[in-house]
Amino acid sequence: MIDPYYLQQLAIGLSLGMTYALMAIGFTLIFGVLNVVNFAHGEIYTLGAFAGLVLISAVAPPIVAVIFGALAVGALAGFSLERLAFKPFRRFTDEASLKSRAMRESTLLSSLAVSIVVREALEILFGSEMRSLPFDYLINTPVRIGPVILVTGDFIIFGVAAAMLIGLQYLLTRTRIGLAIRAVSNNPLGAKYVGIDTDRTIITTFVVGSMMGAAAGILMGLYYGAIFPAMGFVPGIKAFVAMVMGGLSSIPGAVVCALILGVAESMATTFVSSGWSDMVAYAFLILTLIFFPNGLFGARRERV
Amino acid sequence: MNAFEGTLSKESGGRRWLVPALLALLVFGALPALLAGFDRGYFYQIANLALIFVLLSASMHLVTGVAGLLHLGHAAFYGVGAYTAALLTSKLGLGFTVTLPLSGVVAALLAFLVALPTMRLVSIYFAVATLAIGQMLYLVMLNWVDFTKGPNGIIVTKGFELFGVALSGRLASYYTVAVVVVLCVVAIGRLSHSYYGNALRSIREDDQCADAMGVRTVRLKMEVFTLSAFFAGVAGALWAHMTGYISPGDFKFSESILILAMVVVGGLGSLPGAIIGALLLILLPEGLRALGDFRNVMVGLVMFLSILLLPKGLLGEVSALRLVRRQLGGAWRSTGKGEGIGWR
Amino acid sequence: MTKGAATMTVRLRTLSTLAAVLATTAIAGSALAADTVKLGYQLPLTGDTAQYGQDFRKAAEIALAEFNAAGKPFKVEIVFEDSRSDAKEGTNIARKFVDDKAIVGVLGDFTSGVSMAAAQVYKEAGLPQLSQTASHPDYAKISKYQFRNIATQAQEGPYNAKWMAAKGFKNIAVIAEQTDWGQSVVGGFSDAVKANGGAVAFSEFFNRGLKDYRSLISKIERAKPDAIYTGFFYEDGAQFLRQLQQLGVKTPVYSTSAAYSPKLIELAGDAAEGVHLTSNFLPTDPAPHIQHFVDEWKARSGGAVPGQFPAQAYDAVRIMLAAVEKASPNPTREKVRDALAQTKDFPGVTGKTTFNADREAEKELVKVEVKGGAFVPVAD
Repeated sequence: MIDPYYLQQLAIGLSLGMTYALMAIGFTLIFGVLNVVNFAHGEIYTLGAFAGLVLISAVAPPIVAVIFGALAVGALAGFSLERLAFKPFRRFTDEASLKSRAMRESTLLSSLAVSIVVREALEILFGSEMRSLPFDYLINTPVRIGPVILVTGDFIIFGVAAAMLIGLQYLLTRTRIGLAIRAVSNNPLGAKYVGIDTDRTIITTFVVGSMMGAAAGILMGLYYGAIFPAMGFVPGIKAFVAMVMGGLSSIPGAVVCALILGVAESMATTFVSSGWSDMVAYAFLILTLIFFPNGLFGARRERV
Repeated sequence: MNAFEGTLSKESGGRRWLVPALLALLVFGALPALLAGFDRGYFYQIANLALIFVLLSASMHLVTGVAGLLHLGHAAFYGVGAYTAALLTSKLGLGFTVTLPLSGVVAALLAFLVALPTMRLVSIYFAVATLAIGQMLYLVMLNWVDFTKGPNGIIVTKGFELFGVALSGRLASYYTVAVVVVLCVVAIGRLSHSYYGNALRSIREDDQCADAMGVRTVRLKMEVFTLSAFFAGVAGALWAHMTGYISPGDFKFSESILILAMVVVGGLGSLPGAIIGALLLILLPEGLRALGDFRNVMVGLVMFLSILLLPKGLLGEVSALRLVRRQLGGAWRSTGKGEGIGWR
Repeated sequence: MTKGAATMTVRLRTLSTLAAVLATTAIAGSALAADTVKLGYQLPLTGDTAQYGQDFRKAAEIALAEFNAAGKPFKVEIVFEDSRSDAKEGTNIARKFVDDKAIVGVLGDFTSGVSMAAAQVYKEAGLPQLSQTASHPDYAKISKYQFRNIATQAQEGPYNAKWMAAKGFKNIAVIAEQTDWGQSVVGGFSDAVKANGGAVAFSEFFNRGLKDYRSLISKIERAKPDAIYTGFFYEDGAQFLRQLQQLGVKTPVYSTSAAYSPKLIELAGDAAEGVHLTSNFLPTDPAPHIQHFVDEWKARSGGAVPGQFPAQAYDAVRIMLAAVEKASPNPTREKVRDALAQTKDFPGVTGKTTFNADREAEKELVKVEVKGGAFVPVAD
């Protein structure tokens, strides 16, 4: 019989992986369309969590309303982020600008700058310490299944992540806007020539992706019971790793890889010191890049 | 391009030394004179720090600006250099004269080793690989306690010296840093404004095309990655001997991002831009101290506005190339004496 | 070439004269306010550790206001500079403080890394530095100018080891954050446990800011320790305790004074029940000077109770102010250093403080347990 210790570690790994997956879904959606790393996604996550905190401390609504509040804030933040940091750089359509590396990578820096401003502003407004949420809102009541202990939040996060994944797959493959998103992601100029409103499509992608980021933020806040301005950084990196392992534009791939990452980290803690277990994520990343350059689940690419 | 060349060949011999002479006068004459006049350790400190980051930013310019490879782990090689210097000093008692080149060499060697498997990657995949490499090196510095002393950091007991002669005064330290940085930056400048630099640019613009034209892209990428790590390592040695204490926190991911921001704010592909970017991002937070808790918001805003209003950087590549080629010489200049063009 | 060099020298001379004139004016300007003594305080007011720096500033302001209101022959001014917990900025600030001739003593920084880097500057310049938190084992050894107002792990580790041995815990798991302080927690404690005849069943470091401790907790539990000794600050502590409760682990937890903050209970809730830790500051102590500090703190922070670190900062500032007073009239950096070194039985809110020959504070420690959502002092 398997040592219950390993079952427990597996369960912890899966639940950890789920939390990475939650973040990776929105991240991959935005990346898949724009092919640009959005450094501010971590801040959207933080904004979602703080929106939930403010709502809870102001009116103490039921938890579903809190999540909808965070979704609304996420949509707004995604919209403004796109307007501020991404749209201005699409104003140049001449060939020189399109080819210029500096132009292509300026959104990277503009999103980074926005993320610095947002994080510093949150620190000034709320202070940089961890803030607690009222205990009756938290989703971490222990649940025992055989030898394994999980918390209620694990199931909620699983449910939400699954709903997000299925919803997104439906949106992307079965609706007109999904078709437009895929077209823009495939070839923005071509999409424009066949009459797709690329601006609107990109904004929609940002709004949807950021809503998911914000929902992930408040869920994680409720799950761990602490909210602070720098909370988006680590999940952002992990989501990024999961996305690359999954093949960059494949959302189900990113989710599966997030799970693999979580399990690998928790299992690694058994064999090496916890301080080294962060190595696992990066080692996985390098190995994937070298041996599976298309990502574990990515579509075939011409080259990487 | 022909008109461009035409204006260049008309430049008189004396004129093209004007800017380098002025710059040298500024770095080796006016600036130290001002510093000596004020005699404030604070100004020396900022000047030295700014110079070190000029070197870091210039070395990243080589990889990210010229060769177009987004490098997200540069600070780790800076750290490797600093740790090499610190360990050589504390374990073997070696002085700055020896540790400075060795730091560069060790950083370069390590970069070469990690480059072997990863340099075939392109675009975002390359960026992600460098991110992972940087983070792994950081974790090694932090967790390999027996060797690096981990979070305890290392006290570097020796300051700057040249073959055993201590260069300990403020002015002497400034000159040490300035000489090393200027030499390295000149070397980087020559590299990036030569045929070699053009080959790197061809990788950036279209590596498949460059490959088809006979440019050995993978090998060039490995070379430029290694070279840039060398210069970062040298900067690390300067930092280690200057502060006298290093710990892994000095080389974390945010430092890589800071250096990247310097290169991009200045203008990708432009060496003067990289220098200006470094000066801006080191001097601005210090200059804004009066704003108190708001200063970092301001730094973010300045970055954002400069990117928004000048998306090609403060000094974009085209204008920078024109400036550098006219004033400092470069591959396109023909002397009219029938000598070859390019390296000289 | 020679002509160029000549013009350069001339220009150099003009510039340096100009600069010298400017510098003299600046010094003359600062010399005017002779009855004001200046202190520097470098601390993280922004960035990830800003919460600590902001607290230190509040504590320092309380101490300073008291001092200046007490009708002393001179006034003291504290210059606060934000280091962001970044060694680059920390050394910049150190140079800045050294340049200001009116500054006779410096407080800070928060993290040991920045304190150590800045200490190299203060050592060279001969400016006394008193940190409220720097915990690096080599910090006070840098030079005779480094002092600290914190119970070192060389003292706290054996104290806790003895406490746990007295409770009958033989087999102990030790975990600590991967920082210089965490290293000294494990080092100071493990040696003492072994000396007491106990065993360290498990010893591991985790990276600061780790969110999920469940894997680590499962691993600890597999080693079946009698108790867990932990080196963490309140943020990591709260996460750890909560996840310990989630996994239904009942092993008793002991910790250091670094986790002693009301925020620990606020964040961890009933998961903090039964945690044992040491402290040298009890806000519930009825002594008038402690109640005075607690009241002032509450008035400035909306009723919140101060934790261990602000109390240490408050005492550090008062120790520094007392040293300045002892060194006056005309305090110099050297006189302040000597006065600091002579600090003996200073009656602070964190107990009596004496600097030993190594410039380390010798603190009296108190045993505390979390009971009913509050820190309660216990006898054993």
